[in-house]
Amino acid sequence: MISLSSYLFISFTLFVAGIAVMIARKNIIAMMLGIELILNSAALNFAAYTRFINNNLEGHLMSLFIIVIAAAEAAVGLAIVIRFFQIKETIHIDDAAQLQS
Amino acid sequence: MSLSINDYLNQFEAHQKAISFISELLGFDASGLITFLVFATAAFVVVNVMALIGGLGTYAERKISADIQLRQGPNRVGPYGLLQFLADGVKMIMKEDIFPAQADRTLFNLAPLLALIGVFATLAVLPFSSGLTLTNLNIGVFYLIGVSSLVGVAVFLGGYSANSKWSMLGGMRGASQIISYEVPVTITILSIVLMSGGLSFGSFVESQGGFPHQWFIFHNPFTFIGFFVFFIGMLAETNRAPFDLPEAESELVSGYHTEYTGMRFGLFALAEYIEVFVLCGVAAAAFLGGYKVPFDLGNGVVFVEKLGLPAIIGKNIGQVLQLGSFLTKTLFLYYVVIWVRWTFPRIRVDQVMTICWKYLTPIALFNLVGITLWVFAFDGQSIWEVLSHMGGGAHGGGH
Amino acid sequence: MFENTLFFLSAALCIIGAAGVVFSKNLMHACVLLLASLFGVAGLYAVIGADFLAASQLVIYAGGVVILMLFAVMLTGGSSENSNKFGIEKIPGMGSTKTYVFAGFSVLVISFTILKLMANFMKSYTKGELPAFSSTVEKIGTLLVTDHVLAFEISSILLLGALVGAAVIARPRKG
Repeated sequence: MISLSSYLFISFTLFVAGIAVMIARKNIIAMMLGIELILNSAALNFAAYTRFINNNLEGHLMSLFIIVIAAAEAAVGLAIVIRFFQIKETIHIDDAAQLQS
Repeated sequence: MSLSINDYLNQFEAHQKAISFISELLGFDASGLITFLVFATAAFVVVNVMALIGGLGTYAERKISADIQLRQGPNRVGPYGLLQFLADGVKMIMKEDIFPAQADRTLFNLAPLLALIGVFATLAVLPFSSGLTLTNLNIGVFYLIGVSSLVGVAVFLGGYSANSKWSMLGGMRGASQIISYEVPVTITILSIVLMSGGLSFGSFVESQGGFPHQWFIFHNPFTFIGFFVFFIGMLAETNRAPFDLPEAESELVSGYHTEYTGMRFGLFALAEYIEVFVLCGVAAAAFLGGYKVPFDLGNGVVFVEKLGLPAIIGKNIGQVLQLGSFLTKTLFLYYVVIWVRWTFPRIRVDQVMTICWKYLTPIALFNLVGITLWVFAFDGQSIWEVLSHMGGGAHGGGH
Repeated sequence: MFENTLFFLSAALCIIGAAGVVFSKNLMHACVLLLASLFGVAGLYAVIGADFLAASQLVIYAGGVVILMLFAVMLTGGSSENSNKFGIEKIPGMGSTKTYVFAGFSVLVISFTILKLMANFMKSYTKGELPAFSSTVEKIGTLLVTDHVLAFEISSILLLGALVGAAVIARPRKG
């Protein structure tokens, strides 16, 4: 039951859900939830390959770096969202159409 | 050696015999089933005892505060008012269950449960004695930090879902305070990890001794400071006074649980008291020698050799002594937490953040570097060993 | 037995949470469901013996990222009026039928591409004997400061940059 295929399927589901969220939503924060899902699916893939294919733990390190990147991305992204809301009073993605306000 | 409860029981012949007897009776290998049953029983007992301690915590809080303020405190229900918390529980269950209009019902129901889940999940790794630990995870303390941060989410959701200004302000204060104070607390725990060489609570306790001079708090000057950093951070993480900004009665009506009534409020209160106990236990295990008993009485060898008792009884006496040692230290810290609450005034919001980011975090980082240098320079010896090697008249230390 | 149970629970939590993030109409609920999904991922890590990874997942996501998301939701909405002074919608919708149809078609295309790519790999993959679990903490620590020390340092600089950058960007400016 616990096999590489099942892990890849779960990771695939997470990835697809993330893509769907990113395309369907028009709210910047909701889109960032999708990005988190996609990053997690990648990290899960790395860990699964480490367990079932080669066992040398490099995949775990890769997942760890992905988690670090996700944290940094969330911090900067949400700071940008908050700043954008201070300027425009909206977080609709279609309103972010100007380079300079 | 620190063991989980099943490993501990497997040492005894009687347990092995019981397993083989039950296996014959049932006709299949019952060791897995027995392991599960033992674990489930232990978990059930621990959770219930902890709920009881949480309930008694409210009683202790009222009694100690009454003592400090020269009052009587609860003294009507039961002997010395001991059953007061049961009466409170009955009162809470019988209260009207109010949902605020426009509240987010799902999250409103979820928040107290999330707080309780986060607190009870931490009990899995708390080392009560060398035999009574639900599981000796090799990443114990890391796991504890992770699941206890669920309480922050719960506080935030409780504040959001009630759809009230007071609740929302309290929830935002609570969440920001909890995630801010996680930084110094985690760095301080990291320095203990550095000294004990493992992330599990077993390795924390096993690298200390029974006497105060073998504890990590008196190991070197940096850990002495580190203990107080941890203690202050712990007060803030559990929203205890003087850091009880999330539920400041004089500013926000009651903070994030303003709109909660009845048993939902009760669950929040219970979670808070148990979390205080858990974090006091962590402080005891990381700094005050945990379950260690002086003269190595805890492993029970002395009772077997000197008094001629059978091995199983000697071991269990040792376990009881260890449990007593752990509970004594933890409950003493619990008393100090309550004492602090009824002694110091509440500080302002900006002062909370100032203390965290301008004082505690730099001090914790300084401690981490200092402990690294200490472990490197003196090969992990404590200050007493270093002084005794230097011979008699040396003063100071710290270098 | 126990591992299978944990695997089922984690996988169910993970997939249900992810589906909830897609279909929930409430941003706050979506955040909480994301938390559930990430806990499921942590459980999945635990099943395949990645203990350190599971704990990091709990610490970073439950303690950091999700609370940050909730904070951002609180700081960017919550007005009684639905439109601001520019006349645009203040609390934007969580997607309409049009966007969902578009997302559905894109997901179909992407998923068929991925499944096609995965199918080759799946056929060639044979399940061998798996090694027993052991603690990964020490090995990961050793790898981090020997073979991968450059990546480790770069990630620390990345985190520092993100910290400073977030503080500078989100700082309220006068005027």
